[in-house]
Amino acid sequence: MSLNRDRADTAFTFKGGMLPMTVMELASGDPERIRAQLAGKINQAPAFFQHTPVVLSVEQLDEPHLALERICAVCRAHKLLPVAVRGGTDPVKQSAWALGLGWFPPQESRPRAVETKPVEAAAEAELPVPPPETAVQAGGRIHRGTVRSGQQISASEGDLVVIGAVNPGAEVLAAGSVHVYGSLRGRALAGIHGDREAGIFCHDLHAELLSVAGTYKRLEDIDPKMLGCSVQVQLKEDQLRISALT
Amino acid sequence: MAKIIVVTSGKGGVGKTTSAAAIATGLALRGNKTVVIDFDVGLRNLDLIMGCERRVVYDLVNVIQGEAGLKQAMIRDKRSENLHILPASQTRDKDALTLEGVEKVLMDLSEEFDYIICDSPAGIERGAQLALYFADEAVVVTNPEVSSVRDSDRILGLLSSKSRRAEQNRDPIKEHLLVTRYNPNRVDDGDMLNLEDIREILAIDLVGLIPESEAVLRASNQGVPVIHDDKSDAGQAYADTVSRLMGEDVPLRFQSVQKRGLIARMFGGGGRR
Repeated sequence: MSLNRDRADTAFTFKGGMLPMTVMELASGDPERIRAQLAGKINQAPAFFQHTPVVLSVEQLDEPHLALERICAVCRAHKLLPVAVRGGTDPVKQSAWALGLGWFPPQESRPRAVETKPVEAAAEAELPVPPPETAVQAGGRIHRGTVRSGQQISASEGDLVVIGAVNPGAEVLAAGSVHVYGSLRGRALAGIHGDREAGIFCHDLHAELLSVAGTYKRLEDIDPKMLGCSVQVQLKEDQLRISALT
Repeated sequence: MAKIIVVTSGKGGVGKTTSAAAIATGLALRGNKTVVIDFDVGLRNLDLIMGCERRVVYDLVNVIQGEAGLKQAMIRDKRSENLHILPASQTRDKDALTLEGVEKVLMDLSEEFDYIICDSPAGIERGAQLALYFADEAVVVTNPEVSSVRDSDRILGLLSSKSRRAEQNRDPIKEHLLVTRYNPNRVDDGDMLNLEDIREILAIDLVGLIPESEAVLRASNQGVPVIHDDKSDAGQAYADTVSRLMGEDVPLRFQSVQKRGLIARMFGGGGRR
C-alpha cells in the first residue's frame, strides 16, 4: 500500500514512479534468432541502442525453461540492458532472480492493438532483416478519459491515442505518434526513442510543450493563430511545423 | 452502511473546512445521522468552524492509537442532535494516522451513521491520501482561479488511482465539483475564471456554486456553519448543494450578476455588492 511509508527519519524514501520503459516482447527463446534480428535493428536506429533499459517479456513463449543468461548476454552485446523479466513459468522467475533481474507478473489486461502483435513479431523474427518500420507502428496504447495534472501516460512502443483531454500539468508520451481527441493543454512528446516520422495530432491546441524526436516548442513559441485549432505537428527540416487539420 | 464523502481540493484555503462543516450540518438538518471528521492533524480547524473548540477532550489520533473510545472523542453538535464532530489532534502530525486505524474508525462509524464527511487537509501527501482512500464520493472544492483548478485536477487524478475503490477495481469514486468564492461581477470583468471554463477542464458534474459572500467569514468567526444563515446567499447555495448531494434536482442560482433594486441602491448596505 503506497500510503504506508516508514515514519522514522530514514536514509531514503520509496516513491512510486512511472517511467517510460521499453518492453522487448520475445516471440522466440532462441538467442541466435534474437541476435540476428538485433543486428538488423541496430543499423536502423543506432540512437536507440545506448544502454537502453528493457524489460524482457516472455509471456508469448510456452517454453518452461529459457536460456535467459544467453539472451541477456546477446542483449548486452547490443547495448540493451535487461532490467527485468515479465511473465513466464516459475523456473524462469527463479533464473531471473538468480541473474539479478526483477520479475513482473504477466500483464492482465492488454489493449487490443497489442494482441495482434505476436503474429507480426513472429513473422518478423523469421526474416534476417526486418522490413523498415512505417510511421504508424504496431503496439501502442489507447487511453480513455481525461489525463489529469500530474498524470503521465506513455506508449513505449507504437502510437498513443487519448480519447479525452490532456490537462495542464499532464504529460503524454509515445515512441510513435500522439493523437489527442480532445483539448491538448499539457505536454505531448512523440517519437521519444528518436522516430523523426512521428507526429502529434490534436483538437484544440493549447499545449504547454510539443516535442517530436527531441525537437520541441514551448507554448510561448507556438504561433497564437494556431491556438484553439485542430492541428498536426510534424518534424520538417529539424523544425516543428504546426499546420491546421482540414 | 454509511456513505463516506471526502471534501478535498489539493490547494489550501479554498474553503474545504467551511464546505465540510456546511454540508455535514445540512445533511444533519435533513434528518441524516452525520459525523464530520477533521483529517487535518496538526492544523485543526473544523472545531472552530463548528463552534465546539471548547469541548474537545479526545481526538481522532487518540482513537486510532487506542487511547480513547469513539464515543468519548465524538462531540455532539449544539444545534443539531443528528450531527457529531470528530476533531483532529493539534499536537501531532499526519504520520500519527495509519491506514488500518482510519479504516477501523470509519468501519465503526459506518454502522451508526448515514453519512461520514471527511474534511481533508490541503496537499496531496499522506494526510490527504488517507482522507480520500476509503471514500465513496468526493466533493472537490475549487475556486475560480487557475492554480486552484490545476490542483483540483491533480486531486481528481489521485481519486481515480489512489483510492480503495480504484485499487479493488470497484466502481470509481463519484466526483462532484463544488465551486466556491464565485463572484459574477469579477467573472464579467475577466478577473475570475467563469464556471464553464472550470467545468470544461475538470470534466466532472457540478454539485454546487457558492458565491463569494460576507456571510462566510462572519459564520467562520462565530463558529456557526454558514448553512444556518438561511438568509445569506452562501447559506442558501450550500442548502442547494446538500439537496443535490441527496439526489434532488435543484436549479443553479447565484451564477450571474443580480441587479440590485432601486431601493437597495439608495440605501446601500446588506446584500451582495
